[in-house]
Amino acid sequence: MTERDFHISAPKQVSSNIVRLSVHNRGPDAHELIVVRAQNAHLPLRPDGSTVDEEALERATVGVLEPGAPGSVRQLLLHLPPGRYVLICNMSGHFLGGMHTELVVQ
Amino acid sequence: MHRGRAFRPFTARGRGVVAAILLTFALFSAISVFLTISATGRSQHRAAVVEVAARQRTLAERYVKEVLLARSGAQADPTYTAAILTRSAHALLDGGTAPAVNGDDDETKLSAASGTIVRAQLNQERRLVTDLTATGSALLAHRPVTTIPLTAHERVAIVDPVGRLRVLSELTANVSLNAARSIATRADANISSLITLQVALGVAGLLMSLLLAFALIAATRRQTAHFRSLVTSSTDLVLVFGPGGCRYVSQSVTDMLGRPERDMLGHGFARCVHPDDRVSVQAASAHGEPHQIVFRLLDKFGEWRHLEANVTNLRNDRRVRGVVLNARDITERVQLEEELTHQAFHDGLTGLANRALFRDRLDQAVARSERSLEDLAVLLVDLDGFKQVNDGLGHDAGDHLLQQVAARFAEVIRPSDTLARLGGDEFALLLEGANESGAVVAARRLLECLSESVDIAGRRLALGTSIGIVLHPGGPGESEDLIRHADLAMYAAKGAGRGRYEVFRHEMAREFGELLGLEHELRLGLEQGEFSVHYQPEIDVDTHSIVGVEALVRWNSPTRGEVPPLRFIPIAEATGLIMPLGEFVLGEACRQTAQWCREGLLPDPFVTWVNLSGKQLSHGGVSELVQNALEAAALAPSMLGLEVTETAIVVGGDAGEQARAALEELHNQGVRIAIDDFGTGFSSLGHLRRFPVDMIKVDRSFVQGVEHDTKDAAITANLTSLAHALGLTAIAEGIESEGQLASVRELGCDLAQGYLFARPMPAEKMAELLADDADSRSAEGFRASA
Repeated sequence: MTERDFHISAPKQVSSNIVRLSVHNRGPDAHELIVVRAQNAHLPLRPDGSTVDEEALERATVGVLEPGAPGSVRQLLLHLPPGRYVLICNMSGHFLGGMHTELVVQ
Repeated sequence: MHRGRAFRPFTARGRGVVAAILLTFALFSAISVFLTISATGRSQHRAAVVEVAARQRTLAERYVKEVLLARSGAQADPTYTAAILTRSAHALLDGGTAPAVNGDDDETKLSAASGTIVRAQLNQERRLVTDLTATGSALLAHRPVTTIPLTAHERVAIVDPVGRLRVLSELTANVSLNAARSIATRADANISSLITLQVALGVAGLLMSLLLAFALIAATRRQTAHFRSLVTSSTDLVLVFGPGGCRYVSQSVTDMLGRPERDMLGHGFARCVHPDDRVSVQAASAHGEPHQIVFRLLDKFGEWRHLEANVTNLRNDRRVRGVVLNARDITERVQLEEELTHQAFHDGLTGLANRALFRDRLDQAVARSERSLEDLAVLLVDLDGFKQVNDGLGHDAGDHLLQQVAARFAEVIRPSDTLARLGGDEFALLLEGANESGAVVAARRLLECLSESVDIAGRRLALGTSIGIVLHPGGPGESEDLIRHADLAMYAAKGAGRGRYEVFRHEMAREFGELLGLEHELRLGLEQGEFSVHYQPEIDVDTHSIVGVEALVRWNSPTRGEVPPLRFIPIAEATGLIMPLGEFVLGEACRQTAQWCREGLLPDPFVTWVNLSGKQLSHGGVSELVQNALEAAALAPSMLGLEVTETAIVVGGDAGEQARAALEELHNQGVRIAIDDFGTGFSSLGHLRRFPVDMIKVDRSFVQGVEHDTKDAAITANLTSLAHALGLTAIAEGIESEGQLASVRELGCDLAQGYLFARPMPAEKMAELLADDADSRSAEGFRASA
């Protein structure tokens, strides 16, 4: 999957429970990746209004990749029960700027 | 022809290496400084870029606040902030001047950003600033914000214009922060690279310097080894002295002395130096002066080696810091010089001092005596009869004799005395501090040490010496005078009977001066015919007739008048003039006798006696001389008689044998032989038996007392008896009175001679006497026949 300013490109659907995410940052900015089990991208925000409230989603969070420099490629291995998931970059303003996508695990 | 480079030991190599090291340091230092300056400049610039980039975040947030304030009607100027944001974003990306923020900072000149990521981030930032300021402007103008196209690819789903503005501000702030971080990270990376490069440069420079230093050390070692090899293989001796004594000795020194180096290093060196040379060596090694010294070192065999050294003061030369002695071993040269000096001043045969050294010692002694007023004495010693040994037994025997005599003399002198052989059989002894009694004691010792006979060539020889002593009472004096006076005293001792010593008296000098004059006149007189022969008749004691004459030489000097034979004969013998003089007398006597014979003046038998000196006999050729004289005068040999003294025939060896043979040959031809002065010498009966003798002449010393002295009478009687027993004729000399004549006749003498009958007279007078005697004989004969 690829992260750009300010967009995440990833498959919308996977059939295996074991998901290996190869995250390639192609944007000029640094980006992180948070995988949250959620029905859709309507996630609660922090009071600052510009970032997702990760503490509120702590139980739903299934995977995190810390911010990676532009050009970096990182791996994230996840055991995902079937369901709907949202992949976001929660750096300041990035989520609201469009960096989120949904993933369905069958 | 191949010509190699001139040998210039290490003039360039060491300098080249040092220069290479310095150049390496300079090059690496220059690169390092350049990189540091360059990196510092870049760092300053990057710091400014980071500052501006970081400022964009604050400006974005400030822009949102000012837009909201302005929208609510408050006093705010968001367009100013928007302009700063936009211009700064452009300057950060493409270079230019980032404007100043009022009351905050100054304008900042920036160059275009480099690096793909940084430029992408700044480009994104610029797009976000565009989107932000466009959104802000729309909000202030109450236009719908959703219609504003977004250039930074953001997909803001928020329709609320303020929320939308805040998200864009957050995105701008975020990307600005990341851009600042990227720039800072690049700056950190550059500094790290610079540090790495500096370390690499330092290590490379250090390695290269070490390499060059090793090369320099190797070159220096080669130089040192080369010079050490030169120094150690050189036969010259090198010594270096510093404040702590000897610091270095070359191997040639240890080789020469056979001593280990440790013996000579430090202050131990002084122990190897001859005590007399220590002061000069100490001065030279401490001060570098004198520039040349000669000193001695003790080798392991305990022998002194002589060294000649050039002294070089290198105390101010930081490479040496000492005094250098370049020395040569001159031991052999010194020994040769000493040997030559010894040979020049010593007699090769006896090892004693020679004339030159004796003279030098005497000069010094006289000079000392002049200052100290101390006595000194010179003894001149001459062996008696040495010539006979030399002639009779050969020169080897003579040399052996001289060596034995020298050894005996050396045993009886004091160590402080100087004993020398002046030449031939002449020795000299210098006694410093000796007065007359001391000199006499020394002379007696010399005489006594030869009292025991010497074994030479299988014979035991009794030796005697004549010693002349001269005394110098202290004060000024001349060596030459002392030697001459000692010589005179020695001759006086010889003249006084040999085997004795005489102390010089000034009268001797006067006598000697007269002798010298006499010798000269004698020689002149011979040339000018001042000599004549007188004759004294010999009488038959019974018949009173003349039976012979003794030829006696007379010298009528034009200056001195009649000179007695006793005065000039010794001089003639000493100077060799006796040979021509004797030849003259012999020839003249033969000629005159032959003339008398022809004139019929001579009785028969008649003998003309001529004295033959010992010198003539030992010289050889007597037989030929006599035969020539006889032939020249046409005289019958039986009319010639030769008188020889006892001492002339007691000479032993070849000379004695030669004389005996010559006399025997002449005797066989008819020539008569008589022994003169019989009884005064040392002749033995053996001599009388071996020599062809016809007559002995009883010495006048016995004849003069024969009349009254019973001893003289007894001796005369015995001598006469002895002659008769051997079948010889006896003649008494010196008859001056009738009483003496009567006595000798009574004692048995056959013939007599003396003033009673006639004094020696010229040939003419003698001819008259002979004529008278002939007449009387004729008368006698006539009376007898009648």
